[in-house]
Amino acid sequence: MRRGLAGIALTVAGLAVFPFVRESLGLTGFYVVILYTIFFWTAQATSWNLLSGYAGYFSFGQGAFVGVGAYTAAVLAGRHDVDYFITIPLAGALSVVLALVVGALAFRLRSLRGEIFALLTLAVPLILASVARLNTTIDGGQGIIVPAPEFPDVLGAFQDFLYLFNLAIAALAVAIAYAIQHSRFGWALIAIRDSEDVAEGLGVPTFRYKMFAIAASGLIGGISGAAFAQQIGFVNVQAVFGLTIPLFVIVMSVLGGRTHWLGPVIGATFIVLVQDRLVVAGLEKWRLIIFGAVLAFVVVAAPEGLQARLRARPAVSLGAFVLLAVGSVPIGVSDELLDAVGVGAVGAAAVALWPVSRRPVSRQPVSLWPVSVDASLQPTASSEPAVHVEPGGVVADSPAAAAPLVECIGLSRSFGGVHALDDLTLTMSEGELVGLVGPNGSGKTTLVNLLSGTMRPTRGRIRIVGDDTAGLAPHRVARSGVARTYQIPRPFPSMTVRDNVAMAIMFGREPRPLAAARLGAQEHLDFVHLTHLADVYPHEINLHERQLLEMARAIASNPRVLLLDEALAGLNPTEIDSAVAVIRRIHQAGITIVIVEHLLRVVNQLATRVVVLDRGHCLADGDPLTVMSEPAVVTAYLGRQPGA
Amino acid sequence: MTTAQAALSGVLVGGLYAMMAFGVSLTWGMLKVINLAHFGLILIGAYLTYQTTTSWDLDPLLTIVVTAPVLFVAGALLQWAYDRLAISELNSLLVSFGLLVIIIQAASIIWTEDFRRMSADVNPYATESVRIGEFIFPTPTLVAFAVAVVLAAVIQLTLRRTFVGRALRAFAEDRTVAAAFGIDHRRLGVLLAGVAGASAAVAGLLWSLSNAITPSTPYEWFGIVFAVVILGGVGNVAGTLIAGVLVGMLSSVASIVWSPAAAPLAVFSAIVVALLVRPHGLLPAGGAR
Repeated sequence: MRRGLAGIALTVAGLAVFPFVRESLGLTGFYVVILYTIFFWTAQATSWNLLSGYAGYFSFGQGAFVGVGAYTAAVLAGRHDVDYFITIPLAGALSVVLALVVGALAFRLRSLRGEIFALLTLAVPLILASVARLNTTIDGGQGIIVPAPEFPDVLGAFQDFLYLFNLAIAALAVAIAYAIQHSRFGWALIAIRDSEDVAEGLGVPTFRYKMFAIAASGLIGGISGAAFAQQIGFVNVQAVFGLTIPLFVIVMSVLGGRTHWLGPVIGATFIVLVQDRLVVAGLEKWRLIIFGAVLAFVVVAAPEGLQARLRARPAVSLGAFVLLAVGSVPIGVSDELLDAVGVGAVGAAAVALWPVSRRPVSRQPVSLWPVSVDASLQPTASSEPAVHVEPGGVVADSPAAAAPLVECIGLSRSFGGVHALDDLTLTMSEGELVGLVGPNGSGKTTLVNLLSGTMRPTRGRIRIVGDDTAGLAPHRVARSGVARTYQIPRPFPSMTVRDNVAMAIMFGREPRPLAAARLGAQEHLDFVHLTHLADVYPHEINLHERQLLEMARAIASNPRVLLLDEALAGLNPTEIDSAVAVIRRIHQAGITIVIVEHLLRVVNQLATRVVVLDRGHCLADGDPLTVMSEPAVVTAYLGRQPGA
Repeated sequence: MTTAQAALSGVLVGGLYAMMAFGVSLTWGMLKVINLAHFGLILIGAYLTYQTTTSWDLDPLLTIVVTAPVLFVAGALLQWAYDRLAISELNSLLVSFGLLVIIIQAASIIWTEDFRRMSADVNPYATESVRIGEFIFPTPTLVAFAVAVVLAAVIQLTLRRTFVGRALRAFAEDRTVAAAFGIDHRRLGVLLAGVAGASAAVAGLLWSLSNAITPSTPYEWFGIVFAVVILGGVGNVAGTLIAGVLVGMLSSVASIVWSPAAAPLAVFSAIVVALLVRPHGLLPAGGAR
């Protein structure tokens, strides 16, 4: 991280010298203009990318931040003679306030979907435009002339001042994006983009991180908007609240790559350069058609963007750039340096984006898994004295003796008129392995959802280690020591197996930074025998392996209680045996487990205690063999009298 | 103009908004494609109406014979492409945004940025109005409202009563299961998108009857039409019509009572509130979805 930031600082320092050496390099002032345009768009695209790229919440509302920033500067400096430099922090602050208001409204919605957020942000600039038109203390729709500020003479001409100012903002933006990407914050945002409620369940305070992201986006957007006011000199509604700004930031970020800090930088540089060359070539009419086509093409053909493609094919792209840039001069395509650079950039991008059939990452074709399981699990299985008892045998830990870990008191949850859980009172103690069984619709999954905080109870209380958790956000329930797995495994698709587990450690009960978390993940992967798959992506592994990954991720957060929601569904007998062995070892490591399972064979084998639910009530509770032979249970489960 | 007159005019204009929203709502709800390019199709419909009436001296209402088939094919082709490329719901927003920009720019190259309006001798409807009691209604908006109501009823009945409609609803609910029951989603999707395209032709015609057209007009529709789609409940035709009427009324009353510039403010504030309070639309779930 240090090295990256140092690299950015060095690049910025190099660029900062440019206006002072420009004349000795024999370059015209036009280069200053084109570069500060690139810097401006870099800042804007980066601002957009923090929320819309990293966290996946698409926004059409970038114009709102630019507009608030530009109008703050224009109204205060243009109409109230406030010093321009004082208006800059105010522009940033107001834009942050707007961002937080939008965020607080939108992200409070539990059912908010990405598409609805996108359309909501479409409305924000339109509302602001309307306010500006109505309110004569702003401009009443007339527009405001922005006076040029007083700046020290050393900075050179006004263009040079704009250059340095925009460079500073772009540098700030890129540094923020870089720092976020390389910290827990960035990982939290990726997890939110991949699967928000899973992230929340792992202990990620998603609301807070989304608010941070939108605030950072607003800060950069607003400050850069204040700079925009100076560039256009005359701020009016059409210039800032129209759809040009969102179109450009979206095209730039999507083209450059949304998941990386470098993406918007590359995208902005490319688009500004090409746009300028198109205008010079007299093709101005065509530029929007080209950008629209680029957007549609890149989303379909290269969603990861130029950034990833260029890094995958650096030599070929560089070769194309040099060849076309140099080659275009003698054949008369390029008259000046910028033409050559433009032609080269287009060529390099075309080569980088050229569709290839992506070969699947090669994996060990031979399944080593069953072999290694047999070899490694037999000894552990035979060395399990306490748990490997006959079903119904006396269990080593008597539940009554241990401290209550999970308490449900009068717990009810209804959906409309359906009582999924009805006045359930249940206590689980440290060290138990509770099998939760019952027919479909008996309330098992509802209980898991209530315990993990995904749902709120209609009535009743839940206590985890004495703390009342009913009504807490899932990430706080997770922090109090509850972890869960999902019936259908839900790994984060854009993280490797190792990073999926590391995620849980980074946001677990003892949060650790990335490097330490990755090291720690190794241990948990060893534990479930997934070490050989640590560096592949979840879509490359099979269901059984994904379910083991679910478990590894759940125990990595260092829980006290682990809720396994049908963790064995869809596995074949061999896989079930190996998963059962893993569950045993988790239990032996001292984690209390609640397992929802339909396979009674497994429950009888594993559980120290069985709770039978039927239509939201607790039907039976006790050691497996006794419970399973109770007539009421048999009736509920099999639907008939024994022997009938 | 009195507030009552404004409210009633707003109701009629709301019919036009609903007309624009049907296509967006149906493809979003049934096909999971948020098709911003639909606004481009409406724009093309409006320009084609203008062009055919002006060049061939046709009655504007007759031009639908030309525009509807053209836009049916355009809508169907778009859906074919979306389906072929397996574009996700969120990505469809981006791809169709790109397409919309292309259409708008192409329109401004062909028809320039100038305002285009059908001249009075080819478009007799623009100046006509109907007087009912103390209220006056311009014929174009009256026609627009009537067409919207009829179309909403037809679509609703088709979705409820016919085999194709049931197949579409099944498909919207669960693609995999519907496919397992032998529903050919490709053809149905293309057909529905074609119908949505044809509805864009109607919307474009109705818009051009009483308004001037310029390439950037779709940006004006954006906000209001999405307000109507979301308020009405995505994929819900009856809800869309009701939402259109409400939004039209709100916008018209706000511009009379307060100021024309306040109309968008009122409408968009209403959307934001509606999104927060009823994210699934005004009507209870169910409907045509």
